[in-house]
Amino acid sequence: MAKPKLASVWLEACAGCHMSFLDIDERIVDLIGKVDLTSTPITDIKEIPDVDVGVIEGALGNEEEAHIARELRSKCRILIAWGDCAVFGGINCMRNFRSVGDVLKKGYVDTISTVNPEGVIPGGDVPALLKHAIPVDREVRVDVYVPGCPPDADTILYVFQEILQGRIPKVPSDKMRYD
Amino acid sequence: MSDITLNIDDIVCKGSRGDTILEVARKNDVYIPTMCFLEGLSPMGSCRMCVVEVEGNPKLMTSCTTPASDGMKVHTKTEKLRAYRKQILELLFAGRNHFCMFCSQSGDCELQRLAIEHGMDAVRYPFLYADFNNDTSDGAIQVDHNRCVLCLRCIRVCAEKVGAHTLDLDKRGWASRVVADIGLPLGKSDTCVTCGACAQVCPTGTITLREFAYRGRRHDCDDQVESICPLCAMGCRIRAFVRTGSVARVEGVCVDCPDGGQLCRKGRWGLPESTERERVTKPMIRQGSTFREATWDEALTLAADRIRAAAPTGRAGAVVSELCTDEELSIFADFFKGSLRFDKVDCFAGDALRGFVRGFEPFTKQGLRPFTGAHDILQADAILLLGANPQDEAPVTSSYIRVATIRNGAKLLNVSHCCDPYPNISDADLRVPVEDMGTTLATLTGALERREPIECAGMAVLDAIASHLRNAKKPVVVIGSAVARFHPELVTAAVNVAIAAKAFFGDGLGVVPMVTTGNGLGTVNTILADTPWVEDANLDFMYVFSTGMVPDAKPVLEAMSRARFVVAHTPYMVHPLVNMADILLPAPAWYERSGHYCTLEGERRRMNLIVSPKAELRGLSVILHDIAAGAGVPFETGNSAVPCENVFKSTLPPEQARIAAVSAPSTAGAREV
Repeated sequence: MAKPKLASVWLEACAGCHMSFLDIDERIVDLIGKVDLTSTPITDIKEIPDVDVGVIEGALGNEEEAHIARELRSKCRILIAWGDCAVFGGINCMRNFRSVGDVLKKGYVDTISTVNPEGVIPGGDVPALLKHAIPVDREVRVDVYVPGCPPDADTILYVFQEILQGRIPKVPSDKMRYD
Repeated sequence: MSDITLNIDDIVCKGSRGDTILEVARKNDVYIPTMCFLEGLSPMGSCRMCVVEVEGNPKLMTSCTTPASDGMKVHTKTEKLRAYRKQILELLFAGRNHFCMFCSQSGDCELQRLAIEHGMDAVRYPFLYADFNNDTSDGAIQVDHNRCVLCLRCIRVCAEKVGAHTLDLDKRGWASRVVADIGLPLGKSDTCVTCGACAQVCPTGTITLREFAYRGRRHDCDDQVESICPLCAMGCRIRAFVRTGSVARVEGVCVDCPDGGQLCRKGRWGLPESTERERVTKPMIRQGSTFREATWDEALTLAADRIRAAAPTGRAGAVVSELCTDEELSIFADFFKGSLRFDKVDCFAGDALRGFVRGFEPFTKQGLRPFTGAHDILQADAILLLGANPQDEAPVTSSYIRVATIRNGAKLLNVSHCCDPYPNISDADLRVPVEDMGTTLATLTGALERREPIECAGMAVLDAIASHLRNAKKPVVVIGSAVARFHPELVTAAVNVAIAAKAFFGDGLGVVPMVTTGNGLGTVNTILADTPWVEDANLDFMYVFSTGMVPDAKPVLEAMSRARFVVAHTPYMVHPLVNMADILLPAPAWYERSGHYCTLEGERRRMNLIVSPKAELRGLSVILHDIAAGAGVPFETGNSAVPCENVFKSTLPPEQARIAAVSAPSTAGAREV
């Protein structure tokens, strides 16, 4: 039987969940023996192939991220949301209390460290912001939620091991965290 | 026959009639999740986490408010209940902004704990992104309404325990918000006493104390120490959370005690503030206008030489802080009175304590205990304040007074030379010049004894006070420290009022003296002088033990500046005290010591070491032994009276108290109170 394929994407988040995944340390060798890592921020393969398991780290804040989430959903059998940003929206929600126009002006013009005398706000080739930064399941169906900021390495590994056993896991209370 | 038997989750559970289902479950170790419920506060059943299924009843019942009845069959852990509770948690998370990653209370949060316990791995409802303000108007307490779950614990503790009624709820539904003083930011409130009780009971990160934010979660702390606060005579129980040798959090302890686990401003912040002060770390000897470091042996030899010279002349004295423990006070008494035969030994606030002791003397001689535990104010139905300002003198007593008056309907009667500390809630307010106070109290005593109205012209307020006291079943008299300090005879007169008003409690007469200093009651029979000497002192040698926690009394500082040689034994570089020292000896700070305190609550309570001493310290008895050896006098400990025994002793039930003759006003009577 061919090894199950896995793809992961890093959307609106700090990469901490992928770091936490790498914290499974030497157990990654064993995992790679059983799983085929395809397109991930770690392998740096850009094209997402058809996979068994898709993983999203991060909330969805702009149209590109929403598109990637839809693309991954359409190419995977089981979709995992990794971390508080993907599950709840996380720290990205701090912008949800302002209008999109305000957020862009704050980011590109008003911040103290910004030098932008003409007040240019990029558009066109930069993906447009969604009204709110949203959890992944507001855009696509999610099969497994792994909250945590970041989730513990052991929890991430537990979820993969369960899937390898043919189960769709729910993270138990003793492995769950929100911070 | 008040016992009832319930079947909870197929476990036979015994309870008492009047218990709620939750109370029976807790008595029998059956866990039911709760959030708005808090032991000690009145249950309201609003969060609905504690719902249970009762057989024969189609509705889900809130176990915190549903009375248990005999034979009830209750289920607390069904799939239906679990799903229902999880749904509540999801709705709470969706309703406001519960983002644990940047919340200071993450890991200490009850909402988070419950959500994880219920396996809430996602929220099925759209987030509302509530946009309330973050109330940062108060310097010490911060309120982020976006994290509020409207459990109203803060409002209830503020009303039911602190009696301040500062907090209340504004608007309805999703727009509801906890507000201070009908719509003010907390920092603008004039009823808030900044006790921090609201933050202590908050289950989320809504109300937090800046001092303790991000200092460490409770379970990350290395140690939790139960001790008492020494900053007034109440001796409130505290729990200090210690992390890497510093204090991460201070909480009240006892939710089912009369104080409800509250602390006052001093109790909450006094400990962390006092850990950050500049310390005396080594013995030091004066060298011109500064000090040089010295060894213990050198400093103690010098002190012993000076004592040996001064002691026989009678021009040697010692002043010891009332924040010392009973054990320390006994050792000091053994040393200064027993070994060195000093006739001049006293404590810093000796005058006020002496005032109480003298004023109480006629009654202690009768074999009575002329005062009652401060918490008995909660039982009182009339409270007579005599020149007292409890919010300053012993703040938790002030909570008792407010709760008794506002919630229990007690009459609050103020007789004062200066002010009404509770202008909005007092039922009668009589201002009397100090010189007329004795006559006023005698008139009141007479009217109460004869059960007659006071009909003289201009005495309507006094008559109203007499009438309230006459109608009261459990009156209590609170005597201010300023009154006692200058007018011991007024203390006697006030106790007479209490006797005439039949203010009798189980432990003694219904009198609460506002002893303001930590272990003030413990100094009685140990180091408290019979006659004051500090003001006129002109000494060759003076030993001062200051804990540096309350401002040092001016007469003591003046006596120090007049003294030829001063040994100051103190934990902190307290100015101006250390400026007058010839020898500075490092002492452990209050949180580095252990021992017992005699408290206004009528109990001997234990103080425990919270943080290990940091300075180069020696034990008190070792120091005093060394000085005694150097001075060539024998030193034995264990000879002086056990402080609290005499203070709390009572051989006569209070009902047998007799009214005492009031002595003539002291010579200090003309002085300003």
